[in-house]
Amino acid sequence: MKQLVKKQGSNICFAVIVILIALMPVLMNSGLISTSMVLFLGKCIAFAVVAIGLDLIWGYTGILSLGHGLYFALGGYCMAMYLKLQETGGKITDFMQIGGLDELPLIWRPFQYLPLTLIMIVAVPAVLAFVIGYFIFKTRVKGVYFSIISQALTWAAYSIFIALSPYTNGNVGITEIKTIFGKIKGESNQGNLFLLFYVALIILVLIYSLAKFLVGRKFGKLLIAIRDGENRTYFSGYKVSNYKTFIYVLSAVFAGIAGAVFVNFNGSITPSQMTISYSITMIIWVAVGGRGTIIGAVIGAFLINLCEYNLSSGSMVEIWQYIIGAVFCITILFFKGGIIGIVKEQIPAFIRRQKNSRTHTEVKQS
Amino acid sequence: MKKKMFSKIMSVLSAMTIGISLTACGSEPTASDSDTVKVGLLHSLTGSMAISEKSVRDAEVLAIEEINSAGGVLGKQIKYVEEDGASEPSTFATKAEKLIDSEKVATIFGCWTSSSRKAVKPIVEDYNALLWYPVQYEGMESSKNIIYTGAAPNQQIVPAIEYLIEQGYTKFFLLGSDYVFPRTANMIINAQLKNAGLEVVGEEYADMDQTDFSAIISKIESAKPEVIINTLNGTGNVSFFKQMSEKNYTSDDYMTMSFSIAEEEVATIGANILQGHLVSWNYYQTTETDKNTAFVDAYKAKYGNDRVTSDPAEAAYDAVYLWKEACEKANSFEVGDVVSAIEKGDISFDAPEGTVTINGENHHLSKPVRIGEVGTDGLIHEIYATEAVEPDPYLTTYDWAVSAGIQPLE
Amino acid sequence: MEQFVNTLFNGISLSSIILLTSIGLAITFGLMRVINMAHGEFIMIGAYMTYVVQEIFYRFVPSGFQDIYYFIAIPVAFLVTFMLGSLMEKFVISRLYGREIDSLLATWGISLILQQTARSIFGTQGVNVNAPSFLKGGITIGGCTFSYNRLFIILMVALCLFCVWFIMYKSNFGKQMRAVMQNRTMAQCMGINSRRVDNITFSIGSGLAGIAGCSIALLGSIDSTVGQSYIVNSFMAVVLGGVGKLLGTVIGSVIIGSASIFTENYTSSTIAKAIVLLIVIIFLQKRPQGLFVIKSRNLDE
Repeated sequence: MKQLVKKQGSNICFAVIVILIALMPVLMNSGLISTSMVLFLGKCIAFAVVAIGLDLIWGYTGILSLGHGLYFALGGYCMAMYLKLQETGGKITDFMQIGGLDELPLIWRPFQYLPLTLIMIVAVPAVLAFVIGYFIFKTRVKGVYFSIISQALTWAAYSIFIALSPYTNGNVGITEIKTIFGKIKGESNQGNLFLLFYVALIILVLIYSLAKFLVGRKFGKLLIAIRDGENRTYFSGYKVSNYKTFIYVLSAVFAGIAGAVFVNFNGSITPSQMTISYSITMIIWVAVGGRGTIIGAVIGAFLINLCEYNLSSGSMVEIWQYIIGAVFCITILFFKGGIIGIVKEQIPAFIRRQKNSRTHTEVKQS
Repeated sequence: MKKKMFSKIMSVLSAMTIGISLTACGSEPTASDSDTVKVGLLHSLTGSMAISEKSVRDAEVLAIEEINSAGGVLGKQIKYVEEDGASEPSTFATKAEKLIDSEKVATIFGCWTSSSRKAVKPIVEDYNALLWYPVQYEGMESSKNIIYTGAAPNQQIVPAIEYLIEQGYTKFFLLGSDYVFPRTANMIINAQLKNAGLEVVGEEYADMDQTDFSAIISKIESAKPEVIINTLNGTGNVSFFKQMSEKNYTSDDYMTMSFSIAEEEVATIGANILQGHLVSWNYYQTTETDKNTAFVDAYKAKYGNDRVTSDPAEAAYDAVYLWKEACEKANSFEVGDVVSAIEKGDISFDAPEGTVTINGENHHLSKPVRIGEVGTDGLIHEIYATEAVEPDPYLTTYDWAVSAGIQPLE
Repeated sequence: MEQFVNTLFNGISLSSIILLTSIGLAITFGLMRVINMAHGEFIMIGAYMTYVVQEIFYRFVPSGFQDIYYFIAIPVAFLVTFMLGSLMEKFVISRLYGREIDSLLATWGISLILQQTARSIFGTQGVNVNAPSFLKGGITIGGCTFSYNRLFIILMVALCLFCVWFIMYKSNFGKQMRAVMQNRTMAQCMGINSRRVDNITFSIGSGLAGIAGCSIALLGSIDSTVGQSYIVNSFMAVVLGGVGKLLGTVIGSVIIGSASIFTENYTSSTIAKAIVLLIVIIFLQKRPQGLFVIKSRNLDE
């Protein structure tokens, strides 16, 4: 039993989380949980998915991307464009009209069809991440340089999205859309809400399993090797840049999928999702939960967002900003492993030391 | 030993943080008492928009406290629940949902930017809730579930341009931040000027957090306009005017007509820089009504003598009173009843700006338009005013707007 | 011709502002390999300090002498950010040497705290700094107006650059500093107190951010988020110039500044911003180390 917990601890933990979340819509019927809470949990599921992707590149491979909000938003935009066209019946939207367009622009055309949209949600972030990743990793840019470049790229993309307002609706983004399963709010549409929620949950489970599968084998060890000694890995005969590009593309795809899920629950997507600060917020989830553990990313995404949801209101707003800043700082400084690290290492070490000192004193007394 | 102590403290601390957050997550909102009614305030208290939204929030709190001390609404005291939108539309959406669904507020007063309003709009519509939006905006919208207490374009932009045309200005330069309000406003202005046969010599959009305006100022110099129509938002205004003044330009060289500069902004830019420039609003701190004297005094008494009142703050203040009026007319806090009382079209309030009435059809207010000039004292002084103008968010009563194709899509 | 001179001056002026905000970074990032995400917030603190000094002068000093507040504000801003930088190095950065990415993240946490502190103290609304009367307006030569303000900033940049150059290359401390940065162990063996050198180096970098804050206070709004609008350009200037070289940062700033002004003449400012950043990124593909490379046989440099 103990062995099982030790070996499968994170998976058991994940299973508990999934079951808890899966129970929420059921509790909603009994009135314990409000619809808004369920919708918010839906967004948290999306956040957990993007956090897993970030953990893969940052926690395992040591690439800190300060621009994953970009991929998140791209996935979100793809989904939102489809949903918006569903709303207008394939006609042009009001913001295009204000922007002076007469017919549906070319980049909007594929989003008239669901299968194409689903492909685009994966393909757009993947292609962009591949282009960026391929060129940047080939020149062996690494560490903080990559972080700064990714940050600048996100800034540039943000500007472009705002400047192309006839196509993207600028700062306002795409709003007033339903979900992929139609309306989810209100008593009569509860079935749709359940469907959407469980589909999102299944996506989370699938992505978690995929990530776990990847890091559980030699590939995962290689990623860690790249993180801890890129040159040594390189000299051992591995094409480091290919591995890096692959994992970067994969995490971008995760972020895109997460964005698409997010849009369904949020009902809108705006460029503020691709700002630098939003991207770093995602890093905070992973750092606090525990980097390099996958499960830590999931826990961090849920925990931080739930706390923020409950604490950033009224008189707590000011204090919340201090708390989140301090927690993040302290985590980085003293608890590199985040919550998972505390549970797995710091607490056992603490108990061990307590035990040791007790036996010491006992020895002395006797 | 020291190290051990330290790690002990750290682990206790972290355990506490987790504990607190978990209990907070589990806490359910308490049901409202029978003698209070809950309303929600939803503004950005952090992030880049906090600069503007704080004063609006303050005015709402002031109105709520005044109403409470005068006996409340329908015999109930108002209790406000405050949420932070964090300058991010999706947070606005999340928090609006929380206020409506978990906190069960009777109504929400909130939002500032168009993007936050557009993110909240589908949510209040889905839940059939009520949002009071206190800021002048670009129009082209009306919702059953939103009451717009700021100016529609025909109560701010269109009359301001008419005024400029009357004053004999012929060459216009349009300058705005790169987002929806300036773009829509400039579309309207372009149509209006074209109809008048006047010339737009340039149209520029600055980035939202642009800090260097020298390139834009050069473009203005080479276009040589007589007047600049300024729809910059927030911090852009400060940089633009400071950098105009360092080139020795005053209102004599380039007159500006601004739609987003109220008393607050004058204070941050500096009255010596802005003096003589024109603005268009429905209300100024100097507006001479009895209600306004009381409002300004109460605002300063509560928030400090150095604070100024402004049009958005006043519109937010009105919103709370109008909601009270509507609830009393409907004799209910239910959104359905309140909205049908509003749609009778006779909810009005003797506001600091003059009497305002909610238009039952499009949920905007009829309000007077005032063109003002910034004085050396940092206040804005009225130089031209109209009677109350009926709101027309889609500009359907203006022939030039209809013929230019500015009309609702549906 | 007039147009050309104007554009040139605007370009130089913007470059000088970028340079002023990035000299501090060039030191903390370039020499110490510490990414200080709170650098923007130090700029903000410098700007707020200018405001505080101004208010004190308006209250307690007879009106004829109020203008000298600005000369007091510059050292005050420098000292305050210097002290803050020193504290931050002592309690946060020093624990993270060798963990570049972690220092980036920890300083981000600090920047959140500093922003909120500014909001708590000064309110969410922006505050106003009046330019002293001798910096108001500008001098007009043949149709071009050169504002005193901008000329002053250019002068200040030159002064800062000279000071940094002097400290780094001509002073005894500079020698110690370079020694520590080049080979820490060896420097320690020679009896250099490397902890002290680190601390002072970082503090100087932060203090320069404070001075930058003083100058931008004259150009735009001062609020809790002002630092964020400068930070990306400053980082790019340092990376483009090549990490660890002062001259590189100068050239990097000039390229970004003048390219921004030049592109903005032909397109909207939003697009211009994106284009310049993309060009810089593409350039970095060709020369990942930036314009000026310190030759080194170390694989990880």
